[in-house]
Amino acid sequence: MLHCLNTSGNLAGGEETTISDMTVLQRQKARINFQQFSSSQQFMMVACDSALGEVVANSIKPDPSFGKDTVKKRKAEINNNNSNNSKVDVIVPECDKRIKVSADEEESKTSDQISKGHKNTKANNGTKNNRENSGDTNSKEKLDYIHVRARRGQATDSHSLAERVRREKISERMKYLQDLVPGCNKIAGKAGMLDEIINYVQSLQRQVEFLSMKLAAVNPRLDFNIDELFTKEVFPQNFPTIGMQSDMTNPTYLQFNSSQQLVSSCGGLINNMGIIPPEIGLRRNINIPAASSLPEIFDSSCFTHILPSSSWEGDFQNLHSMDFDQGRSMCFPSQPFTGMVEASNLKMEM
Amino acid sequence: MRNLSSLKQEFLKRWIKGLRKYNSQKKDMNLLERKKAIKLSADLAMASTKDKTTLWRKAFIANTSTNIDEQDISTSPSQKQKKIAKKNLTNSCRLYRKTIIGSRKISRRNRVKERVDASFIATKLVKKRTRTLKSLLPGGKFMDDACLVDETLDYIQSLKAQVEVMRCLVTASELFINPPIIDFII
Repeated sequence: MLHCLNTSGNLAGGEETTISDMTVLQRQKARINFQQFSSSQQFMMVACDSALGEVVANSIKPDPSFGKDTVKKRKAEINNNNSNNSKVDVIVPECDKRIKVSADEEESKTSDQISKGHKNTKANNGTKNNRENSGDTNSKEKLDYIHVRARRGQATDSHSLAERVRREKISERMKYLQDLVPGCNKIAGKAGMLDEIINYVQSLQRQVEFLSMKLAAVNPRLDFNIDELFTKEVFPQNFPTIGMQSDMTNPTYLQFNSSQQLVSSCGGLINNMGIIPPEIGLRRNINIPAASSLPEIFDSSCFTHILPSSSWEGDFQNLHSMDFDQGRSMCFPSQPFTGMVEASNLKMEM
Repeated sequence: MRNLSSLKQEFLKRWIKGLRKYNSQKKDMNLLERKKAIKLSADLAMASTKDKTTLWRKAFIANTSTNIDEQDISTSPSQKQKKIAKKNLTNSCRLYRKTIIGSRKISRRNRVKERVDASFIATKLVKKRTRTLKSLLPGGKFMDDACLVDETLDYIQSLKAQVEVMRCLVTASELFINPPIIDFII
């Protein structure tokens, strides 16, 4: 890297003194950024050319062991050269600005580091250690979020940066939560949103409680015939025509993935018969779990009965399904309310 | 994020497994016991379907394991005592804080005071809510704010899935026990 830079300097400069001056700059650059790719050399050189006059005027002592020095040696030299130091520090950010035009994230990082180094040289010895520490933590943070930059008037130390990032993260998550929790969209304040979220979580927990109570009440034994339900659900996959009825009596199971195939097969069958489009089956799935009113169960039962015993009369079935569908869609809006009433009853009981 | 239906399916499987285990352990239970068993198994199943990285899952499993180990009756008095002690502590803290704030208020001008009061009240409200949310979430005590919001998201989603599955099962079992009349032929 260094050699490459030097050779380029050689090509461009020609004169011995200018080369040495350029290498001072280049080496400092290299010290800061080892991973920089060679394409940025052009920018460097442009910057150096513009800065050359100044540096030469300052008369840096020419480098005797050019090209053979290690980076550390060079660094020490730069640090020792106190009169030069400020000048160099001023110049380097300039070339970095130019590099930034090439829009690479690494370079913006280096520019930050350079500015930090600049502060270091100007700061007292006491604060120097602090600065270096903060720089370390900052570089660690930057691995996660490089793009965070302070706007005008905002604090730039690592703590406030981290705090800002944290707050942004939280607000982003809160937005997701807003989407997830119903009725949370209209509330602006954080406290109100938290209130809503708390209420929602509580209601969900209560619902779980209530449902488990209901299950316990409905089933005298603990396993509440799940096996039978499952056998009814699983076996018909091989015999879709038989399975239709049993499956419709437990329509809730249609929602699970294992029975997706069954649904599709049923749908396919139905389609083949030309009776009902599969959407109706899907709609049934959505509706029936919440259904508690008697006529609906009645409806579904007669429907289920008709399907397996159908005498393959397409028109009749179509008519019936249409009626059925309409009735269902009519019934649908009222269902959430009944659910709510149940929930409130539960609360009263609890 | 996993598919919701696959999550539900997984949850149902685990739940039934847990219920079977309970059933094999104990035959005759009264209503409350049954309810408790059902709820516990459902919660555990939900927790176990989650990824291992989520915090509330870990906390929940740890909590339930400790609860099962200890008897409820033996732990409750000590918990009460602890709570009382905590209350006393917090009360004294509040008093202390109030005195500090009061002294600060006096030293400031009116307008500034009002503004500071408003922001202070807002932050206080938010803090209070966060505390309650933390108490709601399993293992919420050990989470920081960013983590808390994340976990709440996760928790709400899983709770939703759980509620849906349970509701389905309730209606299914109801239908199973009181089978609808199917002699009706048009």
